[in-house]
Amino acid sequence: MSWIAVASPLLLLVGWEIASATGLLRAVFFPRPTTVAEHFLRLVVDGSLPHHGGVTVMRVAWTVLLATPPAVAVGLAMGISRRTREGLDPLFAVIYPIPSVLFLPLISFLLRSAEAALVVTGAITPFFLVAYTTMTGVQQLDRTVLEAATHYGARGWRLFLKVLLPGTLPFIFTGLRLGLGYALIVLIAVEMVSARDGLGALLWLSWGILKVEEMYAALVAIALLGAFLTWGLGLLRARLLPWVEDVAGTAR
Amino acid sequence: MPPLRSPKVLIREVSVVFKGRGSGLLALDRVSLEIEAGEFLCLVGPSGCGKSTLLRVCAGLIPQTSGEVTIQADRPGAPLTAMVFQEHALLPWRTVLDNVVFGPENRGVPEADRYARGREMLALVGLTPFAGAYPHQLSGGMKQRVGIARALANDPEVLLMDEPLAALDAQTRTIMQEELLRIWAELGKTVIYVTHSIDEALLLGDRIALLTARPGRLKQVFPVALGRPRGLEVRASPEFGALVDKIWAELREEVLRTMREEEGTRR
Amino acid sequence: MALSIPLSLLVLWEVFSQTSILSPRYFPPPTLVAATLTRLLAGGDLWGETLVTLNRLAIAFVLAAAPGVPAGLAMGLFRPVRYAIEPYLALLYPLPKIALLPLLLIVLGVGEKAFILTGAISAFFQIVISTLGGVQTMDPRLLEVGRNYGARGIALFRKVILPATLPAILTGLRLGLGLALIAVIAVEFVTAKSGLGHLVFRYWQMLLTAEMFAAFVLVGLIGLAFTRGLRALQRRTLAWKEEIGWQ
Repeated sequence: MSWIAVASPLLLLVGWEIASATGLLRAVFFPRPTTVAEHFLRLVVDGSLPHHGGVTVMRVAWTVLLATPPAVAVGLAMGISRRTREGLDPLFAVIYPIPSVLFLPLISFLLRSAEAALVVTGAITPFFLVAYTTMTGVQQLDRTVLEAATHYGARGWRLFLKVLLPGTLPFIFTGLRLGLGYALIVLIAVEMVSARDGLGALLWLSWGILKVEEMYAALVAIALLGAFLTWGLGLLRARLLPWVEDVAGTAR
Repeated sequence: MPPLRSPKVLIREVSVVFKGRGSGLLALDRVSLEIEAGEFLCLVGPSGCGKSTLLRVCAGLIPQTSGEVTIQADRPGAPLTAMVFQEHALLPWRTVLDNVVFGPENRGVPEADRYARGREMLALVGLTPFAGAYPHQLSGGMKQRVGIARALANDPEVLLMDEPLAALDAQTRTIMQEELLRIWAELGKTVIYVTHSIDEALLLGDRIALLTARPGRLKQVFPVALGRPRGLEVRASPEFGALVDKIWAELREEVLRTMREEEGTRR
Repeated sequence: MALSIPLSLLVLWEVFSQTSILSPRYFPPPTLVAATLTRLLAGGDLWGETLVTLNRLAIAFVLAAAPGVPAGLAMGLFRPVRYAIEPYLALLYPLPKIALLPLLLIVLGVGEKAFILTGAISAFFQIVISTLGGVQTMDPRLLEVGRNYGARGIALFRKVILPATLPAILTGLRLGLGLALIAVIAVEFVTAKSGLGHLVFRYWQMLLTAEMFAAFVLVGLIGLAFTRGLRALQRRTLAWKEEIGWQ
């Protein structure tokens, strides 16, 4: 029955192609998939897609690098100490629901570099998500495993490295996976308003000058980037954490 | 001349093949059994032998690949089977009482009647004060009492029980076994009871059917010649000990075979 | 006690801003922000923009939930439907939906339809995914219970499948609403000429920082109210669950 999974998108693409070619769909708005593919290829060959794509990928990487270490630290602290949790909770409760695009002005007052402001804005939601999932991870750790670990001589640093971190790692990963999705939304949006390069900027600029085919090409590139990130993270998880199943249900 | 009395449950040459890789997995191989009305039959066998599968075939939850199961319906309108599941499987969003009336509700029994019946069954298992509680507020033993009340409230021709006490701690299990004996004596239902404990089977059953390791075949049927009403003290009797030894001698072989096969597939 | 950290942060900010350690031009003291917020609310302008945003959010949410829940259920219950829709889901779920905005602007013109639809699409995929997940992770024994106790067809769906999936559906709706809010605010920030997102953007461009922070705080309060309200709703609807965790 899985032939449907192949046939259904194929049918859509062929239908679209025919509809645009025959004028059933207005080709100005809905260029034929083959035309989009041509433009996509051209943009790859002339280097602009690799350039903009590379810039966005670098920004995504920076948001992850900026968000994860402090988030894991805060999450562990909140998981271990009840007072830290209760102290930070109201702060988190107010800040977390604010769509992080709105942090851009505030952060650009703080940081002179536009690039840094952009990346930090993207890092806000992943920070909260990873902190929360890490905290949940610590809280769900089996008390008897902790007892057994201390009983067999794992204390302090060793307890952290050998028990606490591996035990919460699946949760950290879940936070990262969810956080990456949100980071991508914010980065693309912020690139649209205030950047000259990156896939969001390419998308927005080609709309501005009504280069519809290039806009589609940029859209396809963003979709591919999103799918690639999901897939890559899944792969990484399977490599790093072969002993666990996904814990998405516990997150958010 | 035809027999005067046909059995309550007639299991004839039932085989089940689970589809999967290659030719599939033979779970049950031509099992035949007859269960009399009012009888308490225990199904015993090594884990993975297909006891639960046979029970599910009787419940109509799994289709048999060949053979047939006939359940003699004596009261028109009554459901053929009601199952008590391992680890209770209560609907967590329903209160205790609403769980108990689930079956009659689905059969369209008027509200007043089904709640009266439900309360009666709750009283029988001693849970009247908890009618309005949600399952998560109950202990394991209490949840399983609800599971039993739910089955009884549906008033089935045959009661099917799938290791209902396996998930309980030893003390609770002992108490629940006594409860089961009391309830069964009171209602006189036909019961097919799956367990992996010989002790439990001997305490409860009129007969014990032993299944072989996979594929599940009927190995032997042991009549339990211990008097009724039966209490826990029966376990101290020499007959009880002799029966345990006799059944264990047969079961041991099957368990060892299962273990050897598992090691074989691991290698 | 619980509010000590946020309160001390606010006091620090106030002191730093008053003593110009933190530039008051960019970071006006919280008291000034509070005064500005009161003034703007009293003037009525802020209410108008808030209503615009809430209105867009509400329509987007309904447009997403109405088809999203049935689609997720259908995918979970009928395998051909799942196979037919899954490839689009795999490609479009990870796509940041804000990227669809230019396309929608081209097709629908610059206006409410495109703004709202961006929000709706953002929420839709989340709702579908959560609902589908709910059906797929349902305890199969509950289905056996339903069948063994005579619940068939519609009754099985209404009495077993739907309640078993309800927690996941509610989670999906809650996440979907959050995503719709993010999208609507982003759209306003990027291109719309009204709404709270636009207001923050405009005040930013005009460097009216006290006003900017006031609008920012308002968005935070709305977000907080939503989160709290939905959590309470989820608690009440799911009184039978032991706990719902921190989400």
